[in-house]
Amino acid sequence: MADKKYKCLNPVGIQVPVKTYPLAPRLDKIDGKTIHFSICGEPDITIALEKRLRSDYPNINWTTKKTYTPTPIELSEEEMKTTDAVILGVCW
Amino acid sequence: MWGQLPYIARLEKAGIPTVLIDLEDQHNMVVQEAMASGVPKVRFMPASRTLPGPRDVDKWIEALFDALTRPLTDEEKQSGFFSPSQERVLFEGTLDEAQDFYQQTRYVPRPVDAELAVYTDGFPIVIPTEERVAKMLKGTSHRPDEIITYQKDRPVRLRVEGNRGDVVKFQPRLWTATVEKVAINAVMAGCKPEHLPVVLAIAETGLTTGTTNFPTQVLVLSGPIVKEIGLNTGCGHLGPGSRVNGPIGRAFQLMALNLGGAIPGVNRMSAHGSPMNNGGMCIGENVDGLPPGWKGLNEEHGFRKDESVMVFMTIGNHGGILGHEFSPGGYRALQKSGHGGIARRLGVKGKPGPHNWLEYLFPKLFSITEGGFTLIMIPEMARHLYDIGFKSKDDVYEWIYKKSFEPLREYRTRSWPDLTTNGWMGREKTSGKLWKELSDDDMVPVVNEPFDNCIIVAGGEEEGCIQLTGGRSGFGDLPSAAYSIDAWR
Repeated sequence: MADKKYKCLNPVGIQVPVKTYPLAPRLDKIDGKTIHFSICGEPDITIALEKRLRSDYPNINWTTKKTYTPTPIELSEEEMKTTDAVILGVCW
Repeated sequence: MWGQLPYIARLEKAGIPTVLIDLEDQHNMVVQEAMASGVPKVRFMPASRTLPGPRDVDKWIEALFDALTRPLTDEEKQSGFFSPSQERVLFEGTLDEAQDFYQQTRYVPRPVDAELAVYTDGFPIVIPTEERVAKMLKGTSHRPDEIITYQKDRPVRLRVEGNRGDVVKFQPRLWTATVEKVAINAVMAGCKPEHLPVVLAIAETGLTTGTTNFPTQVLVLSGPIVKEIGLNTGCGHLGPGSRVNGPIGRAFQLMALNLGGAIPGVNRMSAHGSPMNNGGMCIGENVDGLPPGWKGLNEEHGFRKDESVMVFMTIGNHGGILGHEFSPGGYRALQKSGHGGIARRLGVKGKPGPHNWLEYLFPKLFSITEGGFTLIMIPEMARHLYDIGFKSKDDVYEWIYKKSFEPLREYRTRSWPDLTTNGWMGREKTSGKLWKELSDDDMVPVVNEPFDNCIIVAGGEEEGCIQLTGGRSGFGDLPSAAYSIDAWR
């Protein structure tokens, strides 16, 4: 009995097939671009970062949406049309 | 995570380059969610958990712009299809060989830095042979190849609504499962076929395990199922010994690992874990112990008294077990004759009960944390509350809620409200005023809603009440919810 062989089944969940996409092309330059800073959580970091972004990169048109929670406030479809890039943080 | 990666994926697919900032020990989670969202090569960089913000930003601010401007690599330009194959039979051999196989471990680097089991909770399992799984499947009328779906419309995650028939995607990997997969895990946990409808209802929850804090997953059964399967709702119901409570609780934890892919230190980031998740925690309501007019959990959640439900609660996110009252004999001295320390504190010395023993718990219950509380009390103590005027559980919930008001100056010194008020940017709901317009003396509730509190009548005869944090307020802003067991019979 101890030598009997059994087929033992797989308990692991099923990965649904995912279509994968390339990253969006990067910017050729940053001056004059509209870059959105999506602020979510960790104000110790995001307050300092926003200050540096605006002071060190004045030629960028900065937009922001801010929440204290980790779930970002998303850009609308209309806003996405005029946004060249997005920085999001902090993600956890 | 909190919806960041699906959003980032939507932006990248729309042609908007992104970069995200995470914390270093979260990299695995970002990579996994990026793949699940269809953009596996998302660019990200770590912030520090310990450096002051300005110094931290100084370290990587230039790299942020590099991530937005550096041309894509060939790998980053690729599109494709991620569809790993999976065998139904995982292992073939003797039972001893199979035990060794299923007990295999792998090294998980920091923040764990230890070997963790790949398929189990670390303890030996019942080997899921084809024969045992077939026997387990007799516990439900659902087909083995049926994909687990929501049995009713419900919120399923932060800002995510699920409709009846939608496929359940298990947290955190967003994998799916068939009824057979659930049965396999039920076998491994030591469940019997009659437990399977409960385990299927548990699977319908999506198996969230929470994050940074101290989340404990508690499964509370209510309705005829409790007696039907012989759940222990009496003395020692939270402890070992039951052939029902233990295996069903364990099934959650095995499914969280196997169906959800939740691995400590990789994507299950509770810094300490919770001892209540060792073996899992399934408890039940002693319906015969409810005082007249007190609803069972099934009725409280909109089901009928003759319907069996499983209420999924995430306990302990803000604290855990806060106490167990009272001293042996102390409670009886209070209620029988008004003697002892409790009577002295309540100012009823020499007066026979029943007295409102809840008074003894406050305000200390709110001293460490806020949010709803779950009180597990024995039937006698519930009856005392009934006798002094709490004719329904709602009366108790309302009493606790009113008891929870404190001056804003106190409330501001708590840890969680910075987050739960969204940085004090919104309105305080009881006054309707902006948080920033309130004075320090204005009173605000520590408990968000009366119904965030939860009473479970269970336990033995030694007078005791356990206070658990979490109540019905659940994890994040997702409330605890009841799942039909009958739907899975």
